[in-house]
Amino acid sequence: MIKKFSLTPYLFLTPALLAIAIFVLYPIIAVVYYSFTDYTIVNPPVWVGLSNYSSLIHDTTFWRALSHSFVYLLVTPTLIFLSIILAIIVDRKLPGISAYRALFFIPVISGSIAVGIAWRLMLDTNGIINALLLSIGVLKEPIQWLAEPIYTLPFCMLMTVWLGVGYYMMIFLAGLQNIPDELYDAALIDGCNSWQKHWYVSVPGLRPQITFVAIISSLAALQVFNEVFTLTNGTGGVLQSGYTVVYYLWQQAFRLSHAGKASAIAMVLLLITLIFSMMNIRLLERGTEAE
Amino acid sequence: MRTKLITLLMLVSILITGCATATTQAPVNVVPPTAQIIRETAVPQTPQTIVQTVVSQVVVTPTPGPNPEAVIQNVEPNAKITFWTFWLSPTFDDYIKNTIARFNEAYPGVTVNWEDHQATFQDDLKAAFAAGNAPDVINLSVGEGWVSDYATQGLLLPLDDKVPQSVKDIYFPGLWKEQLVDGVNYQFPWYNFVAVELINTQIYTGTPQIDSQGTITSYTGGAGLKVADFPKTIDGLPALCATIKTKTNTLCDIRLTVNDLLAQMVYEGNVKVISDDGKTLTFNSPEGVAWLQMYVDMVKAGTVDKTILVSDQDRDGLNLFETGRAAFYQTGPNLIRDVRANNPGVYGYLAVVPAPIGKSGVAGKGGMGISVNGKTQYPNASIALAQFFTNPKSMTEFAKLVAVYPSSPSAYDDPFFSAPSMAIEDSAKPAAKEYISKLADIVPSIPNKADVNAIVLKYVQEALFNGVPAQKALDDAVAEANALLK
Repeated sequence: MIKKFSLTPYLFLTPALLAIAIFVLYPIIAVVYYSFTDYTIVNPPVWVGLSNYSSLIHDTTFWRALSHSFVYLLVTPTLIFLSIILAIIVDRKLPGISAYRALFFIPVISGSIAVGIAWRLMLDTNGIINALLLSIGVLKEPIQWLAEPIYTLPFCMLMTVWLGVGYYMMIFLAGLQNIPDELYDAALIDGCNSWQKHWYVSVPGLRPQITFVAIISSLAALQVFNEVFTLTNGTGGVLQSGYTVVYYLWQQAFRLSHAGKASAIAMVLLLITLIFSMMNIRLLERGTEAE
Repeated sequence: MRTKLITLLMLVSILITGCATATTQAPVNVVPPTAQIIRETAVPQTPQTIVQTVVSQVVVTPTPGPNPEAVIQNVEPNAKITFWTFWLSPTFDDYIKNTIARFNEAYPGVTVNWEDHQATFQDDLKAAFAAGNAPDVINLSVGEGWVSDYATQGLLLPLDDKVPQSVKDIYFPGLWKEQLVDGVNYQFPWYNFVAVELINTQIYTGTPQIDSQGTITSYTGGAGLKVADFPKTIDGLPALCATIKTKTNTLCDIRLTVNDLLAQMVYEGNVKVISDDGKTLTFNSPEGVAWLQMYVDMVKAGTVDKTILVSDQDRDGLNLFETGRAAFYQTGPNLIRDVRANNPGVYGYLAVVPAPIGKSGVAGKGGMGISVNGKTQYPNASIALAQFFTNPKSMTEFAKLVAVYPSSPSAYDDPFFSAPSMAIEDSAKPAAKEYISKLADIVPSIPNKADVNAIVLKYVQEALFNGVPAQKALDDAVAEANALLK
């Protein structure tokens, strides 16, 4: 039987395909092209071949930003660990437990810029953190937290964890509620204590969620910008201590008008995130095969 | 039948509605006034909004007769030009609209679309240039170096050969000739600031203790300093900050101009930053090292707020001062209104003194300029508008609204500038003319200035925060930045 060609499904697809072509495909192609040009945004791009890429190889600031972005990946295991702990804690039938879950979720629905400004105020010389530490005698002099290079990245990462832990907690909570009670009963009969019950039942049961969270949180960590921008007030921190790849990309494009070089940075980032995604998906497939 | 009846009723109702609308829109015999606003769209400002764009269009029917303010010839008939200002709306909406209306009386038939852009001004402008629809007339900061930034990219109209000498002579010579690019001027000097130090006397001097007869007997809680003794030169600041830190445990609110460090070296340290042939940077000289060492010493002594020191936002320093956490801050008197609005408690203890001068002996550059797009379709109309906003009358009217100062000597003939005023906002007014007349851009052109500045900032921070000796930091900066000049 010969299938009759029908135009109708393609017509239905056309608006979506057009939107994707205009808002996704074209920008990607444009960025690829710009990465081979000297482009100042205000003047037309001029073809320079691979010089943007070769300049990145010799650019110590780029390597510093890249290393910071890799350090930033530490938020991923931290988020997974804390979110699972929190999910286990709130996965109980207690009066008012919904309020606790909502409390942990509030940072997720708060704007990251607003949160960044609030954190900046807390970390100010006269902020609440210094006031607290001074009042309990931990400090004798207030610390200018955001002017100390060693604190810039850790505070940005802390803010990322604080912002994201509620969201990932909800994902793990949903995963926990899908694990059959019989498995926990069997674990108890086998002599597991409360800790072992979660280690041998909950964690393996949450494998799909862990993989999912690992992928999306590591991609988000590699692309971090808002936390760095708000906490350092747009400067990237003293001694470039808060420079990440996306911050550096932004600075090159919008502060120094090197859109060509910024596009090359974007291509490198694209490559890294692609490799990360493929590795994560591979891990997921292996885990599923093993089961 | 029923469907036909409903359709008929709908048609009748549409007709009635249409007639009613037509009736209300037909003022055929009404003659529009000379200045008629035919379209005005305003995005209302909310307290949280920091990015705002206001668009208005003013069209005027031609009025006969010469106008003394019409000094530019051959303005294109029926020109339609766009004018962008930086952060003037909504406070100065009436002023801008009234000035445009006056412009239209002087140059009838020109349509001016005015837009005010704020936090995203630079991004908006770059995007507009990229899209080929940049405004014809642009308010650019001279102080921040925007004029030279855009002029070196070939985006602005050179003005020297297009403006009659009689018009150039309206302005202070130092302001017309400042920020030249290859010896050519690209801006009409607009409004300027007088740099002052705002002093919070509660910290700087102390809270006055008053006896039963209303006489101040002593001061408590402050550094015990006299406002009149505020340093007249930059090199007095380290000792002052040390005193304030010791006596009040308050850090100094001082900001490096991190967007243009070479300019700060020139004005404050009298540093020769580039060789005469423009091929080698030279700011690692003893003068440059001495300039940097002063700040390094203050950081080491722990007497300055390090966050503010390297912040690229003037508002950060102002915020610290406004919240009562700093003894003094250098800014323009025009921002005293911010202190009054945001913290009347500090405003009540405010004193104002002239800002200290650097080793160059020059106070600084002008404030704002107005430039013309190099690709405008209507160069003469655009030049006319830029000139009109910067003429003595327009600038005097502006100065009456806020503590900014005109760029032409004749503007100061207005009695407003000689009238005594008790307001602290006007404390710079008596000396403004002399101060503005001495403003000059003494910073030479630096190729790839933004990139050079980024390198300088990196190494200056190494000296400030990473223990690198000032000489080595500047040597390294020169070595790396010189590669950009080749």
